[in-house]
Amino acid sequence: MRAHSRVTSWTLLSPWVFAFGLFGLFPFLFSFAASFTDYSPIRASEARFVGLANYARALHEPAFWSALSNTALFVIGTIPFTTALALALALAVQPAFRGRTVLRVGFFVPSVVSVVVLSLVFKGLYAADGSLNTLLRALHLPAPDWLLDPRAALPAIMAMDVWSASGYYMIIFLAGLEAIPRELYEAARLEGASSWDCFAHITLPLLRPTLLFVLVVNTIRSLQIFAEVFVMTHGGPLGRTTTLVYYLYEQAFSRFNLGYASAVAYLLFLLSLMLAWLQLKVVGGRGAKG
Amino acid sequence: MNARWSHAAPLACLALALIAGACTRQPARATEIVFWQFWPAEVITPLLEKFEAENPGLKVRMEQLTWDSGKDKILAAVASGTVPDLCELGSTYMPRFLASRALADWSAGIADLKPGIRGWEMCSIGDANYGVPWVLGTRALFYNKTLFARAGLDSLHPPETWDQLYRAAAAIQRLGHGVHGYGVSANDRQKLFKKFMPYAWGNGGEILSTGLDSARFDSPENRAALAFYLTLRKVGTLGLQDALDRDFKDGKLGLEISGAWLLKQIPNEVPTLRYGVALVPKPATDRGTHASFAGGEVLVGFQASKRKEAALRLARFLVRPDNVEALVEAAQSVQPATVGADTTAFYLARPNQQVMIRQFEFARFTPNHPEWDAMEAAIEDAVEKALYDTQSPPESSAAHAAADAQRAIVELLEKH
Repeated sequence: MRAHSRVTSWTLLSPWVFAFGLFGLFPFLFSFAASFTDYSPIRASEARFVGLANYARALHEPAFWSALSNTALFVIGTIPFTTALALALALAVQPAFRGRTVLRVGFFVPSVVSVVVLSLVFKGLYAADGSLNTLLRALHLPAPDWLLDPRAALPAIMAMDVWSASGYYMIIFLAGLEAIPRELYEAARLEGASSWDCFAHITLPLLRPTLLFVLVVNTIRSLQIFAEVFVMTHGGPLGRTTTLVYYLYEQAFSRFNLGYASAVAYLLFLLSLMLAWLQLKVVGGRGAKG
Repeated sequence: MNARWSHAAPLACLALALIAGACTRQPARATEIVFWQFWPAEVITPLLEKFEAENPGLKVRMEQLTWDSGKDKILAAVASGTVPDLCELGSTYMPRFLASRALADWSAGIADLKPGIRGWEMCSIGDANYGVPWVLGTRALFYNKTLFARAGLDSLHPPETWDQLYRAAAAIQRLGHGVHGYGVSANDRQKLFKKFMPYAWGNGGEILSTGLDSARFDSPENRAALAFYLTLRKVGTLGLQDALDRDFKDGKLGLEISGAWLLKQIPNEVPTLRYGVALVPKPATDRGTHASFAGGEVLVGFQASKRKEAALRLARFLVRPDNVEALVEAAQSVQPATVGADTTAFYLARPNQQVMIRQFEFARFTPNHPEWDAMEAAIEDAVEKALYDTQSPPESSAAHAAADAQRAIVELLEKH
């Protein structure tokens, strides 16, 4: 019986296992191996083993550090805002009221739209004579050319990311909120707890696993920011929006340094792993299930 | 248990069938030429149908590439060995592909075509040819005649020298109300270079030595050209190519260096715009040339292709003067690589298109060095840095930029 059910499981899993092996595991291992070579796709047969040279090169390359610092800025500058906004939206649309569904759908819609489409829309919005600047000028506020100003370009992409990602995490927070037993709030109210007390002592602690999940997932996603940069700025101005993945892409597909690009990818992977572990330690605490 | 099996068995069969299907797919017919190219289907299909009609034994399977992802796709194909038989490649991609030795040597098959076609620089190493030039593109000066008139300038005489260009841009810039004199290119990858280098080349500047083995970027000629380009900021606006083109089409930009795609877009989008096209201005009446950038599209075959002969036949068909003419007339955004194309009825009736062809006489192809794209990026980064350095005088930021780019180019040369 048991053996047969195992066979059944594997049979049912086989399409997934096959696809994962081909499109997940194989590229993962291939790029790991490539990171120790000078592999270039147009000279595949001439690849030589170079040991850790690609990793050493990355750590000595100013362009790598500048891409890393742009990425770090992006992560630090978006995660707290996205998380706070998502939680605030979730709390706002949780209670039953007329029009709640419309609002929920409205907030979630940006997550459904392709990033490329969003980026194109924002590129128009941020243009020198785009809608945003028309509004700012009407209010007599400074109206920079957002995506061409070295100080404004990255924050502009960050603002777009906070706006577009919050809805998705709002849904996750909503699911977390729904799982908190109502009785706890009722009991607290009977004891005379204020709304803030309820939030600080019931909602927040019980939402911790959800919060952890949101933080980890959003950090990994933010570290991999690429399409927005590709569409809106191509890494400019002055390289201020060149993120790690954009840098990696340029190395791999413009310069054909696939070995080096793979090494950069694995450094990014290590970084993601470390950050996730850190978040698990700090936010996860005891008993939290990621 | 049996019930479980009855569910699993069909799934397993399906999975096996899929795998088996993938493995035993019928090989393509020997006479089918796989052709990867970037043109819209409506532009290229009539030509391919004509080819099939002329060559009854051959069929063409055309696959469309996009400028955003086409290069990645070609790269993946070369890496995996599943290459198309014939492929269109942009001149910017050529140096890396030439260095890869993945391209088929066509020297013998196209020798007779050489006198009738321009642009062999794009696809040759020494005397060996690894492709055939198909269409060419260059950059010229576009100017708005209405703004010229409003600024009190003679719209029949576009600027021919740097000084005239600066004064025309300044006069238009003074009109105000969102109107700008000159469109200075910000750092658009592979675009800024084509907007700045015409001035450098026109001033006698170079990037590499003729042997492609030493850097020549940090020269008085290049520094002066860059200093001039930087002063254009004062009488214009900084923008990415599509934004500048849009401003030009909206009648808000007096002058810019741009390409033939505008000749196609303007009649469709803003038929009332009064504009002209002129050669890139030269440093002074008695000095320099109207240089510009030249690039193009090359048809190449691959070593790994099994239908090399048929592919060459299709390439020879596509570069035949009547066929190139049909293509550029449909596309209107490029010029034929054919020698003497400017005397066809199409060009004789279109003076602006003719200027683009005349511009080729002064235009320069980029050096065929394997690290070319990295050198180009280094020049763009240095120029961009100078463009954003509004504190220092143009001469000093130009000097820094020329030295920076030179250093980067030397490093790239040392890699090889």
